[in-house]
Amino acid sequence: MVFTQLLVNGLIAGAIYALVASGFSLIYSTNRFVHFAHGGTVAVSAYFLFVLFSTFHLDFFLSVLLTVAFSALLGILLNRFVYAPLRHRKASSVILLLGSFALLILFESVLLLVFGAEVKTIDFIPVSKGLEIAGAIITPLQIVIVVTSLVLLGGLFWFMKFTKTGKALRAVSDNREMAEVVGISSQKMFDYSFAIGSAIAGVAGILVGLEQNLEPTMGTNLIIKGFTGAIIGGVNSVPGSVLGSFLLGFAENFGIWYLPSGYKDAIAFVILFAFLLFRPQGILGVNKELQK
Amino acid sequence: MIEAYLIHLLILICIYVILAVSLQLAMGFTGLLNLGHVAFFAVGAYTSALLAMAGFPYWVCLVAAGLVGCLFGLVLSIPTNKLSGDYLALATMGFSFVVYAVALNWTDVTRGPLGIPGIPRPEFFGFVLSDNFSFLVFSLIVTAVSVAVIWRLASSPFGRVLGAIRDNELAARVLGKNAFKMKSVSLGVSAFFAGIAGSLYAHYITFIDPSSFTLLAVIPIIAIVIIGGLASIPGTIAAAVVLVLLPEPLRFIGFESSVVGPMRQILYALILLLILLYKPKGFLGKVKLE
Repeated sequence: MVFTQLLVNGLIAGAIYALVASGFSLIYSTNRFVHFAHGGTVAVSAYFLFVLFSTFHLDFFLSVLLTVAFSALLGILLNRFVYAPLRHRKASSVILLLGSFALLILFESVLLLVFGAEVKTIDFIPVSKGLEIAGAIITPLQIVIVVTSLVLLGGLFWFMKFTKTGKALRAVSDNREMAEVVGISSQKMFDYSFAIGSAIAGVAGILVGLEQNLEPTMGTNLIIKGFTGAIIGGVNSVPGSVLGSFLLGFAENFGIWYLPSGYKDAIAFVILFAFLLFRPQGILGVNKELQK
Repeated sequence: MIEAYLIHLLILICIYVILAVSLQLAMGFTGLLNLGHVAFFAVGAYTSALLAMAGFPYWVCLVAAGLVGCLFGLVLSIPTNKLSGDYLALATMGFSFVVYAVALNWTDVTRGPLGIPGIPRPEFFGFVLSDNFSFLVFSLIVTAVSVAVIWRLASSPFGRVLGAIRDNELAARVLGKNAFKMKSVSLGVSAFFAGIAGSLYAHYITFIDPSSFTLLAVIPIIAIVIIGGLASIPGTIAAAVVLVLLPEPLRFIGFESSVVGPMRQILYALILLLILLYKPKGFLGKVKLE
């Protein structure tokens, strides 16, 4: 009983982490820097949905569409107005990392300033009784989360593998100069990666917002899990980061079988450390910088 | 009244100077992008507070805070030895989360979110530094000693080896320098002084809880280091003074304290972004961030 419940909880957590991690690693592999503010995108999108739906009482599905469009736009704006100027000045990836870290704190503080520290809830789906499957309780919303996540991730996988844009994105992440030689605009691909990655982050924000409460620090917590999942699976590989996120979800939920639940975050970091130490390229990733 | 306020600000400046100058040793002089400096600060604060609550004299607490901080720095340097750049930043940040999670959850020792109230003020030979002015004098002495030690280290042959490792680790190793040992010592010394700063903080505020040691707390320290300029100690000290004083006018415009906190963070984050955009070497920086 406990086993299946933990399995289900791990699956739900993994589904959310995977959405955050896939966008994060798409942006990382294309742009070659750590976009911490990705967590900020998740949080801002969740609050955006809250404002549209709970404050302005728009139709729920319209609000969701607008939120996803908004998060994609936010990603492009971040790229154009913060990262592109930094890149233009030949900033190293470390400077970009610090810049994105500052952005993450900026988003969190602005949310705190505007909405206050108290938690907000999006009351779209009334708290419903969970269904029992093989001794584990799962709510309909949680099923929606897992299904949405799997469908989106499958779609992303298909997009990266078979469409022209997806191939171009992978070409830029593989070898930027070579991609430009064959006529792929890397600037355009940076925009695409931010738009797609942030739109997925927006979906993650919506799902988290429905399942849990909104608080200003949610983005920071999620991006930490996201990048841990991405590093476990391989930060340069989108499928790898998805795999890593599910593993992280399971590891955390089975870990608290033995440890107090407060140590969930610590478990994540012990795993992160183990990977950084023994296999920094992750399970599926190939790290060119480390090969040099 | 105004005097008490100035003394309070000066004590805060002292604590930030120690934190930023010690981070400078790892980040500016050795090139280790450490985003987890606040973990050593936390470890020092908790060590010092817990020992003081157990009845140890203050000098024992202060030295122990530094030594335990140093130990954590040395321990962190082992797994992160081969990492650099992005990966080192993520690992050190992860480390600070582990420390935070332990402080929050190891309730038998740290009392978790309740924090440790009633930490005694430092006492030397029966003389208690109960008023803020005497605490300020004590902080100034500790700060001066810390800065002097780090400055001396950074300008010694040891410091030049650190610079060589920062600029070209392979070349330094070819010349027979033990890069791993040097980086460990640098991180250890850096962590030692962060622990000392933690002790000052704990015994000044007389209350600590895990919320003082989150990710938010590291932004002002990093902003000071970058604005002052990597590998520049005078720049770091000047930047610490400016950054501690800068958000203070917010209090006088009449904002509520619930607004001042986030506004201060926004200010620091914006300053850090702008400096990275327009002056990535900082004002007195000697090296580029890579």
